[in-house]
Amino acid sequence: MPILRRLAVPAAASLLVLASGQAAAQQDCPKLGGVLALTGAQGAIGKVIADAGKLAVDQVNKAGGVKGCQVEFVVRDDTSQPSVGLDAARFLVDVQKVHAIVGLVGSGTALQVVNSVSVPNKIPTVACCAVTPALTKLAEEGKTGGYFFRTIPVARSTALVHATTAIDKGYKKPVIMYINNDFGNGVAPDTKRAIEKLGGGVAGMVPYAENQPSYRSDVQKALAMNPDALILIGLSQDGTAVLRDWFALGGTQNVILHNTMRSPDVLKNVGEKFLEKAVGIDNAPASGPSADAFSRDFQAAYNRPAVGPGLQTMYDAAAVTLLAMQAAPKLDGPSIRDALRAVQDPQGEVVGTGVDGLKKGLDALKAGKKIRYVGATGPFTFDKNGDVIGPMLVWKVQGGNIVTERTFTTEEMQAIEKKVGL
Amino acid sequence: MIAQAIVDGLLSGAIAALGAIGVTFSLSILRFANFSHGDLLGVGAYGALGVVLLTAVSSAAKTLDAPLGPFSFGWLLLIGLIVGIVVAVAIALLLERWVYRPLRQRAADPLTLVFASFGLALLLRSLILLLFGPDPHQYSTEIQMALRLPGPVLVMPDQILVFVVTLGVLAGLWLFLQRSRHGIAMRCVAENPSLASVAGIDTAATVRMTWIVSAALAALAGVLYGVTVQVRPEMGIGLLLPLFTAAILGGVGSVPGAVLAAFLISLAENLLSLVMPGSYKPLVPFVLLLVVLYVRPQGLFPIAGQK
Amino acid sequence: MLSYLLFFITVASILSIATLGLNLQWGISGQFNAGVVGFVAIGGYTLAVLSMPATERLLVQWNLPFAVALAASLVTSAAAALLVGLATLRLRSDYLAIATFGVGSAIQLLANNLEPLTGGSRGLVGIPRPFEALGAVGFAWAYAAIVLTLLALCYAALQALLHSPWGRVQRAMREDESVCAALGKNVVRLRLSSFVLGSVLMGLSGALYAGFVGTTSPSEFMPILTFQIWAMLIVGGSGSNRGAIAGTFVVWGLWTLSGAFIGLLLPPRWQAQAGALQSILVGLVLVLTLLLRPQGLLGARRAA
Repeated sequence: MPILRRLAVPAAASLLVLASGQAAAQQDCPKLGGVLALTGAQGAIGKVIADAGKLAVDQVNKAGGVKGCQVEFVVRDDTSQPSVGLDAARFLVDVQKVHAIVGLVGSGTALQVVNSVSVPNKIPTVACCAVTPALTKLAEEGKTGGYFFRTIPVARSTALVHATTAIDKGYKKPVIMYINNDFGNGVAPDTKRAIEKLGGGVAGMVPYAENQPSYRSDVQKALAMNPDALILIGLSQDGTAVLRDWFALGGTQNVILHNTMRSPDVLKNVGEKFLEKAVGIDNAPASGPSADAFSRDFQAAYNRPAVGPGLQTMYDAAAVTLLAMQAAPKLDGPSIRDALRAVQDPQGEVVGTGVDGLKKGLDALKAGKKIRYVGATGPFTFDKNGDVIGPMLVWKVQGGNIVTERTFTTEEMQAIEKKVGL
Repeated sequence: MIAQAIVDGLLSGAIAALGAIGVTFSLSILRFANFSHGDLLGVGAYGALGVVLLTAVSSAAKTLDAPLGPFSFGWLLLIGLIVGIVVAVAIALLLERWVYRPLRQRAADPLTLVFASFGLALLLRSLILLLFGPDPHQYSTEIQMALRLPGPVLVMPDQILVFVVTLGVLAGLWLFLQRSRHGIAMRCVAENPSLASVAGIDTAATVRMTWIVSAALAALAGVLYGVTVQVRPEMGIGLLLPLFTAAILGGVGSVPGAVLAAFLISLAENLLSLVMPGSYKPLVPFVLLLVVLYVRPQGLFPIAGQK
Repeated sequence: MLSYLLFFITVASILSIATLGLNLQWGISGQFNAGVVGFVAIGGYTLAVLSMPATERLLVQWNLPFAVALAASLVTSAAAALLVGLATLRLRSDYLAIATFGVGSAIQLLANNLEPLTGGSRGLVGIPRPFEALGAVGFAWAYAAIVLTLLALCYAALQALLHSPWGRVQRAMREDESVCAALGKNVVRLRLSSFVLGSVLMGLSGALYAGFVGTTSPSEFMPILTFQIWAMLIVGGSGSNRGAIAGTFVVWGLWTLSGAFIGLLLPPRWQAQAGALQSILVGLVLVLTLLLRPQGLLGARRAA
């Protein structure tokens, strides 16, 4: 076939270039791989998340780099398709020889990458944006070898806050409407269990399919249960549609929303007058110097506010990984894996975000001292499964703005977790 | 609850009916399954959206956008509707000229046309994505409060209007098909294309008229859908299977059949979702399709000239 | 580098089997399958469900060996193809297109909702893989060997079929069905056999992928896969088995590489739209090929 013949030369040439590039790279300089959805269904948010990661790498490099080198950050696009994500991870590890992988938007990609690349190849993987409990399960069964971490709280933490809020507000029979996908199926049952463990009751559970033309019948099903409140666990698109139908059909204004709906767009599309009694939950970026520094730096670097899913978690994923690379005695999988927990030493010197914070951390590590990294998502620690529990907050709408009503510190979250016994 | 399901079924069935008519025409007159028909609904909806979005830049547009009466939209949307129809018709005619006609002239088998429509569906959808982005839009951010009818049945004023408009359009279409020259020509070609051309009917003109009517109905359906639900880039594909099922169930080529079938399918979806989890709703048209194909493939009102 | 190439070849070969199946359906016997992803999904999920070890929340805990589960996936995809084929093959040819389109969306829906069976939206993790005990490298080589062997077998079998009387009748039927019917050939049965065989290949492909990756979830079986396999067939030249395989490697290579290049070629403002542009490109390839070069980019329609 003539075309194949014509393709052969450029194909061979590119392979040569790739191979030589790999040979030319110094093997002991840290390389960080990123697998993100830059195009496709998740492309719009994935691109910004990549920027957040890039910010962390740039700042670390400005602060002196890791192990005397400038860190190279190689990002590959998974085009929002898990099989392409797997290929990207394989390429990063086999060809570009990265020492760790960060990113992973979406559970399909995360599962494939962790299962087929991170674990067999001993590549520490810090996910910023995959909440599936399946990965926790995998870790609990000992199948991740400790190589999987994530900086985004699992579904469980958000469920705990939903439950606590419902109880605190005195809702006796909330109905839980949730999107019937991996995310919703993680949070909703946990929310119900938590409410019941805390002594409350639930009017019912109504799952709804994603990407449906209309949710009116689902809303009617929920309303038929005569609830006194609605706990809505969905993404912003379908969540908005559900809310609109909820209010149009006369549903109560006692609403608890998920962090996916904490955005001005939702406010605009639903209308402030319906959201006066609504509250929502979210991860609390520590209202402190660390989180603020990140927001400022992000705005300065990319000329857009640090608002949107995954930004803080991605920054932290990259930053904590790079710090771990510095702390690790050798740049190999097992060492970096162990170091990822070491940089969260409770006795360590507190180190924040930004060029200054990271420089402080890197210098301390170079001097052999212990540090405790407090990131854009606030202080966090990896539990035995690589998951994080961190502070959470409850937000509400006031005067057209989204403001915080109350926060739960990490310790309070741990207490709730213990009380609920999940 | 049953009363509510029936009312919901009738109201969303109206929109499906408008779309299904276009599908039954393309299956009978144009003789191929047009996989891009759903995206014509999208084109119509987005054409109107483009006009509505002008409120962001023009204050004249803003005043025209003020809601009329109890409905959620204003004159601006009506202008948008006309724009949407024009754009959809234009695109349909362009595609006929550049893609379908050349393929037909090459005596390509009908599946080639199906194949082409498949690729065109992807193209149209991606264009919409490119121009408007992946997020859903509403024509109006105002939430309409539902009316409480005896039942208790909750209904939006918009939905009632959609139903009435559909009935009106169907009546108009009926007159067109019964009385006007073009309409009668369309029915002739649907029943027996060879006889029709022998009798001197200009098949090319009929084909054009078919595209115009189908696209206009699709655009109208798209806008009405956008008014009562929302405007999303994938709105077309989600509707494709129910529309095909309606056309086949009704009997390919039969307009009353397509309309009746569309209502039946919509009612079935809504009644069944009372007893089964809502997530299974999209399966209903598929199961119905299989049942029809096995039990009575010629549909409810078979037309003689169709297989 | 070598391990990546091995990985790439394994995945591309798995996809090639599906493309060969589509070639049988469209290129050789002229039937339009608009729901390729559905048949791939059936194969993948069958293997996954039957192989899974005992897990509390799953209904089926049979933990069958790989070869058995693989065979089972052929059976289930054949069954699905029969269901759809028997319904439509007596009727107009575009009814098959509509029905397969329905299959594509129905399977994804069922996979997402039948949680006790399929793991629901969480999918199934920890599918036992053959030769896992050989370690990562050993597994990669062993699996690649399995896949390449199967691909070669399928190719050889299809080539043999193509040159057999059965194959000749299929192609004749594609050109002019009425002549074949007049000659007394059972058109419906011929069509059905080709359609079912093609679908079985797609199911095999899905099963092999699930076995390779060890996880499966509804998000892997989105409509885009149908378009990808179609593009692979078209680029390679429908009608040619060799073209089907070549087209798969080319398109898959471009698709995975495109992520690397989009960042280089497009100005940042356009990068976010790259996904839409990619789809437009695929759509254009499909339509333009039909109009301008029906024999495909790489091969001839009537090739061996």
